[in-house]
Amino acid sequence: MNTVEVALGCAAGSALLAVLAALVVRRRARPAVVGTLTAITGAAGVVAGAAALLGERFAVELPWIVPLSGIALTVDGLGAAFLAVSGAVAVAAAIYGIGYSHHGLDSRGVQATFPLFVLSLLLVPAAGSITTFLVCWELMALTSLVLVVSEHRRRAEVASAARWYAVMTHLGFVAVLIGLLILSAPADGDAFAAVRAAAADLSPAVAGTAFVLCLAGFGSKSGIVPLHAWLPRAHPEAPSHVSALMSAAMVNLGVYGIVRVGFDLLAVDAERWWWLLVLVLGAISAGYGILQAVVSTDLKRLLAHSTTENMGLVLVGVGASGLFASIGSPVLAALALTAALMHVVGHAAFKTLLFLAAGSVLHATGTRDLDSLGGLRTGMPLTTAAFGLGALAASALPPGTAFVSEWVLLQSLIHGLPAPDAAPAAAPTVTVVVLPLAVAVVALTAGLAVVTFVKAFGVGFLARPRSDAAAHAIESPATMLAGMGLAAVAATVLAVAPTLVLPTLGRVAAGLVGSPAPIADAVSVELVGVTGLLSPVLVVVALVVAAVLVVAIPRVLAGRRARREARLWDCGGGPLSPRTEYTATSFAEPLQRVFDTVLQPVQDVDVTHHQESRYLIAAVEYRRRVPDRIERHLYEPVLSFVTRWGRAGRALATGSVHRYLGYGLCTLCALMLLLVLA
Amino acid sequence: MSDTAYVQLLNLTAGAVLLCAVLVLWRRELAVIIRLFAAQGVALAALIAVLAWHEGSPELAVLAAGVAVLRAGVLPAVLRRALGTAREGTEPVREVRPVVNVAASLLAAALLTLLAFAVSRPIVELAPSPATQAVPIGMAVVLIGFFVLVTRRRAVSHLVGFLLMDNGITAVGFLTTAGIGLIVEVGVALDVLLALLVLQVLTGRMREAFGNTDLDELRELHD
Repeated sequence: MNTVEVALGCAAGSALLAVLAALVVRRRARPAVVGTLTAITGAAGVVAGAAALLGERFAVELPWIVPLSGIALTVDGLGAAFLAVSGAVAVAAAIYGIGYSHHGLDSRGVQATFPLFVLSLLLVPAAGSITTFLVCWELMALTSLVLVVSEHRRRAEVASAARWYAVMTHLGFVAVLIGLLILSAPADGDAFAAVRAAAADLSPAVAGTAFVLCLAGFGSKSGIVPLHAWLPRAHPEAPSHVSALMSAAMVNLGVYGIVRVGFDLLAVDAERWWWLLVLVLGAISAGYGILQAVVSTDLKRLLAHSTTENMGLVLVGVGASGLFASIGSPVLAALALTAALMHVVGHAAFKTLLFLAAGSVLHATGTRDLDSLGGLRTGMPLTTAAFGLGALAASALPPGTAFVSEWVLLQSLIHGLPAPDAAPAAAPTVTVVVLPLAVAVVALTAGLAVVTFVKAFGVGFLARPRSDAAAHAIESPATMLAGMGLAAVAATVLAVAPTLVLPTLGRVAAGLVGSPAPIADAVSVELVGVTGLLSPVLVVVALVVAAVLVVAIPRVLAGRRARREARLWDCGGGPLSPRTEYTATSFAEPLQRVFDTVLQPVQDVDVTHHQESRYLIAAVEYRRRVPDRIERHLYEPVLSFVTRWGRAGRALATGSVHRYLGYGLCTLCALMLLLVLA
Repeated sequence: MSDTAYVQLLNLTAGAVLLCAVLVLWRRELAVIIRLFAAQGVALAALIAVLAWHEGSPELAVLAAGVAVLRAGVLPAVLRRALGTAREGTEPVREVRPVVNVAASLLAAALLTLLAFAVSRPIVELAPSPATQAVPIGMAVVLIGFFVLVTRRRAVSHLVGFLLMDNGITAVGFLTTAGIGLIVEVGVALDVLLALLVLQVLTGRMREAFGNTDLDELRELHD
């Protein structure tokens, strides 16, 4: 009996116990009991994942759970990485949920669904057969849907968001289902091992179709453009700890699916165009997601768009890895895949932190609108610190968490470019075009991410409050702070000491593409096979020294002169009011102008004149909306067609019983005639 | 019994079953329609009795008696009760204005019978025997029953249409397989009886709520 088995058993046991507890425990104690048990589930998931990453292997078949096919669980290196990430996010979210659930989220249904959702997040990467995978995937979709609608009594938008989510997640499920069934049809049984063995016999067209279907289904779960429309709706409308789970753990499993199918099940059939497609979709998602985030004024929506961006970056890594593998440079392939996995881990840490902090703001002020926040620093210092740390981690600047993974990603992309003196045949033309563009996209998103998070942090938390709710915000309860604290510690550790996990992830990636480990076991990040060295600790030390110098030198210099406190120069117009501050809208305005052709914002300026004179202005009203263009051009025609189809269908249903029966008789007779004539 | 007598009796009873179905389309008084339905029940029981005699099967004979009791006795009685409450009310006890008029209905019945004969040709060819050659009649009764459901407006006519379909299905069952087992047959019969009882109650409720049982008045759903 190995550690993985014990830990997974513990996870399942405590999750089921949590469900039971949610049903029987009194309302007052319910969130605490359920939260604690769910946190134990998550912790057990982390232990299982860590043990499997360190080399333990685990496989079990439980034929009695589901009739006909049974349940098969297999934990290998790839699954273990995602298992551990899901578990870690679940621990933070569950502890946070204890404090967060006290206003309206402590009903039996919601509390019983939450541990099930966590369990499904742990089981998807541990699935060892296609049936198991699909069952867990669907359980994950259904439980998350129930959790998304849990606040539907409070806000009307929840219902619409849930409808989008329900429809898109099930269309995605259908795509995945068809794709995986195509794979399992020729195989002997539906275990992943059998599918892997049978994959060599698939024709290129069949394998390509299966991969594209899986890519569509898994990509929609990851919020990849153009299948992202549900994500900025559903993630913000869910309760914040569920948002954290969805945005930091659930989207990862889409990536897991793509890697599992492309690098594992269909590895022998993989073709270059698959990975080019993944890379291009990833690059578009990254750019488009962060552009939407820059102009977003809703705090949680901004974070959801940023999720699309980060998953895009992960797919750039995955696509680049496949591309390198197909042109015969496994070292770079392993490096790019390592970068993608590292970004998954880092993103999970900082996105959990950010969503939990955003939930704390929502809990205290009741609003997510950045334009009416501000000045939270005084009332909520710990939440402010947590969000600040998360914003730094997300913005790909040293010493942030995302910086390390993006650095590794850029290293792999840059080393993939052919050397100037190399023979032209060494690298296919397509890489010469695609890789520089990918580098540019990664750089652009890094820059825009900085703007986005400066905006979110500066406008939302600093300066002076723009509304009463923000002015009277008080700090969240201890459990919520504890949840944020855990995520903050994880994000800091990943930023300062990424080599705790990076070499391990490197070995997982190397195992998938068949190359030596791309990252050496050392304190600093040292690439193996290509030149590259980064020491996060030194970066942190250098930055701290620089910051101290910047702060200290003016103090020292100014200390020689007498200091005088005075009001800031306000042009003599009296004390500045919060209305003169930068808002989220105004902060993003210059960027919105730069990207005008891409975003195509809709602006309205209404000027109201005084009645006495046209030359005097009473009020100016400015409205700006940035509708999602992809949504407008891709989804609206489909939706309007479906609506028209439905309207046309309504003419058939007049309500007359005779007509309905008549349809039946006519159909029956037509069928019989067809039989007679055929 | 000689073979010719068997064939002639079989054709006679089967013809009577079909004739009753067509006559249901012709007559408008609800009381007469119920009487025709009872007559069809008798004809159906006779058809099964002929089969039982030919095969020398006592089980089939028991079933024939059961069918007679249920379809010529119990079901018409239930229908009459549904009608009886109607008589106390003010609404007419006639099918005043069917969706398709009587002449066109009879024409349609002819076409449906033709269709039934055409479509069951493969079944007859599978095992040509006097019994299977009567299968198209069962099919025709099913189709005519369906047609009654579509074109008649009153709730009682609908019940009769539904029961005609069931009679047709029973006839096809007996003609093709010489009985589908006592238990199954009893189960189906009880099912039909239960459905009819429920529908009868429903009809009574409709009358209480709306004053009549013209199904065309029921066009909108309300909470």
